[in-house]
Amino acid sequence: MMKEILEMAAAYAEEAELYRVRSKSSEVIFEANRLKSIDSSFEEGIGLRIIKQGKIGFSSSTDLGQPRPLVKAASDSAQFGQKAHFHLPSADSTSSVECYDDSLISLSLEQMVREGRKAIDLILKEAPFLHCEGEVAKIEAEISILNTNGLSHSYKRTSYTFSLGAFLAEEGNFLGIGEGEASVKYHDWSSSVAQRILEAFRLTRKKGSISPGKHPVIFTSKAVPLLLQSLKQGINGKVLQKKISPLLGKIGKPVVSSFIDIFDDALFPFALATSPVDGEGIPSRRTPIIEEGVLKNFIYDLQTAGLMDTETTSNGARGYGSLPSPATSNFIVKEGKVPLQEMVKDIKEGIIVDQVIGSGQGNVLMGEFSVNLDLGYKVENGKIKGRVKDVMVSGNSYTMLNNVLALGSESRFIGTTRTPPIYFKEINVAG
Amino acid sequence: MKSFLSCCLKRVKADYLEIRYEEVKVVGIHYVGKELEAIGESYEKGGGIRAKSRGGWSFVSFNDLSKLKDYLELATKGAHLIKGEEIKLASLPARNEVISVEVELDPADISLEEKYLLCNRYNKILLSGKEIQTSALRYADIHTTKYFINSEGTYIEQERIDTVLGMRAIARRGDNIQSAHMGIGGVGGYGLVKEKAEQAEETVKRAQDLLDAEPAKGGKYTIIVDPELSGVFAHEAFGHLSEADFLYEDKRLQKIMVLGRVFGPPGLNIIDEPRIKGEGGYYLYDDEGVPSQKTYLIKEGRLSGRLHSRETSAKMGEEITGNARAISYDYPPIVRMSNTYIAAGDKSFEEMIEGVGEGIYLKGFRGGQTNLEMFTFAPEEGYLIKKGRLHHKIRDLNLSGNIFNTLASIKAIGNDLVLFTGPGGCGKGGQSPLPVSTGGPHLQIRDVVVGGK
Repeated sequence: MMKEILEMAAAYAEEAELYRVRSKSSEVIFEANRLKSIDSSFEEGIGLRIIKQGKIGFSSSTDLGQPRPLVKAASDSAQFGQKAHFHLPSADSTSSVECYDDSLISLSLEQMVREGRKAIDLILKEAPFLHCEGEVAKIEAEISILNTNGLSHSYKRTSYTFSLGAFLAEEGNFLGIGEGEASVKYHDWSSSVAQRILEAFRLTRKKGSISPGKHPVIFTSKAVPLLLQSLKQGINGKVLQKKISPLLGKIGKPVVSSFIDIFDDALFPFALATSPVDGEGIPSRRTPIIEEGVLKNFIYDLQTAGLMDTETTSNGARGYGSLPSPATSNFIVKEGKVPLQEMVKDIKEGIIVDQVIGSGQGNVLMGEFSVNLDLGYKVENGKIKGRVKDVMVSGNSYTMLNNVLALGSESRFIGTTRTPPIYFKEINVAG
Repeated sequence: MKSFLSCCLKRVKADYLEIRYEEVKVVGIHYVGKELEAIGESYEKGGGIRAKSRGGWSFVSFNDLSKLKDYLELATKGAHLIKGEEIKLASLPARNEVISVEVELDPADISLEEKYLLCNRYNKILLSGKEIQTSALRYADIHTTKYFINSEGTYIEQERIDTVLGMRAIARRGDNIQSAHMGIGGVGGYGLVKEKAEQAEETVKRAQDLLDAEPAKGGKYTIIVDPELSGVFAHEAFGHLSEADFLYEDKRLQKIMVLGRVFGPPGLNIIDEPRIKGEGGYYLYDDEGVPSQKTYLIKEGRLSGRLHSRETSAKMGEEITGNARAISYDYPPIVRMSNTYIAAGDKSFEEMIEGVGEGIYLKGFRGGQTNLEMFTFAPEEGYLIKKGRLHHKIRDLNLSGNIFNTLASIKAIGNDLVLFTGPGGCGKGGQSPLPVSTGGPHLQIRDVVVGGK
């Protein structure tokens, strides 16, 4: 079927590419401490990109049985499309990557229900008044890319997510703790996720308060992605091409503290964004972004690289419904040497940031952020004192990444970002 | 479609069963700076099945309609795996409705070339400012036909056309980069986005002016918010808390959110009203086939109602409101707002600002979020108020407050209600963006925390 559509499109265009996604997911959902729903989804869609008289055309559809409107829409679109600054890739050798787990396919719904149930029971045993909700989901997807330059690639990927939230409404003191794990592979996360929620819950039983002003701060792994938003935009080739990246002209120059190393790595075993090729069929790779604080690379897809007279970094990200665009894959912040407890010990008066609300609302491009502390703790004389709330924390993420005191010794994945906790010189607290 | 769906539906057994199916055609145009990033038409068709057993739900979404029979079986099997306390649905008379859309200037009758030329013209304006570095423009017209059928004999077919335009100008002076945004459009035809050159010019001016603004200083302030932020305030600082799915199973939260509780001053009225033509949150029937209606969330300062699905309504013994919405066929309906606004009061803007010794006037919207107790929202720009007058421009503002105290700190309600819609929308439970409108009059609020340096 795909070959026929491609042939039909080839009649209108110099080059054509089909991108197809088929996915199957099953999910068990817990609400108010009980199993509430068992859901499935079966998705299928194709995107057709063409180069016609040197210009890019695109259309997408979920209806594979009706290729004619799709081909016509792509052809119409090319009339107005952007000039193509690339050729579609031909077949290339790819290294094998770990993005599929057989055992996930045979994992039963009953087992997923049992693990979710187990985690909730563990939490309720200690804190019966908490309201838990959770999702355990497995996804299997098949991605196929086919183009008129001979590339034909198809691969399967899986993912398994286990996420849980615990909520407590007390007059003047609402609490919500969210924890989860996600990977290509199946693993029984029920105990560790429940334990993490309980640890956080115990710390919130005491109240802490902090005076407005500047204080040292630890961002937990869960909170670090907030500070990486700006950097992820700044290294995006498209943002660079529009000349609005604050990192413009900074290749080879220090942009963050000298002991920070960051990679974009689509080859990282069993991570959520791991794949043999990117959305354009370019073999995946590991791209150094920052080495010892020095900016090494921006990330590109084919078109953006063409516009900037450079090579793609295999970061053409897409779904079937859109053209590729540069985006990070697995974003890896290399861990340091300092255990979290040591960071806490070092603080006389400061805070730990774990969850915030209002992220992404400020001038992200410039690094500005200002958020409400949804879940955070006061540190006093080297000890965690209790929960701090009703305050805003703000700063500039570039400034903060230039004032790192220590990187944690243990990393974890938060979505597609793998990071240790990070200890910063200061953050501004208002409240 | 009706006979096919009803025929499939009849073959399966469940306590309750519904099929939603959607056909969507989107024309989109996307500029970033000088480059036309995307243009063209795309097609999406898909469905979602919800089955209920005595004690559980199952939701199955799909693209391939020819396998509907298998999916129906899977949904009923899934629901039966769940044993638990009985789930009841508020009763509803069966209905048969076919609602077709009527718009002036149907986007389907406008050529792609004409749409391209319009966007190209606006984008040129966005890029025309002396200190403008780049722009972003997104145009979309979306034609949706939704089919709904359930095992209680209801069949509803609804057609809808949305036309939206988002424009952003990004100004740069050295290391200082600032942006301003304008969102227009809603449920309706091409007329909604025509002749908006002035808005594009105004967006450019706002972005460039922000280059000269001073960063805000953090602290507690008396603030005045413009109607756009007033709407976000209605939505974030209260609306979400009135969505019954957050509390229908939580006795503690129900005690906190008891009807009649005083939240704000006597002149404060917050309303959710889906049936306002042209607004983003307009609909006649929700995604459970329930007719939409106007609901007072706050009446004269007191909590007076909340938004329900059939399940939350039955569980809480409160009147059904028709607020179960899904962003698309591949999501189940959940309790959502529609067009949510604060009703107009009696103060003029001049009267409101006169009384402020030192404060901040906030305008325009960048984003907002809530955790049901605290909320944040980010305005695009602000002015320092000194001795009842607007002083200099400030930027990098993000506000935060406690939902339970902040409404009570509203000291004046303006007489100038405006509703806002546009691209973007509300996010909840992984479903984003859902088209909604928000609005209100100018408000004066005391003691709001502004984050900053």
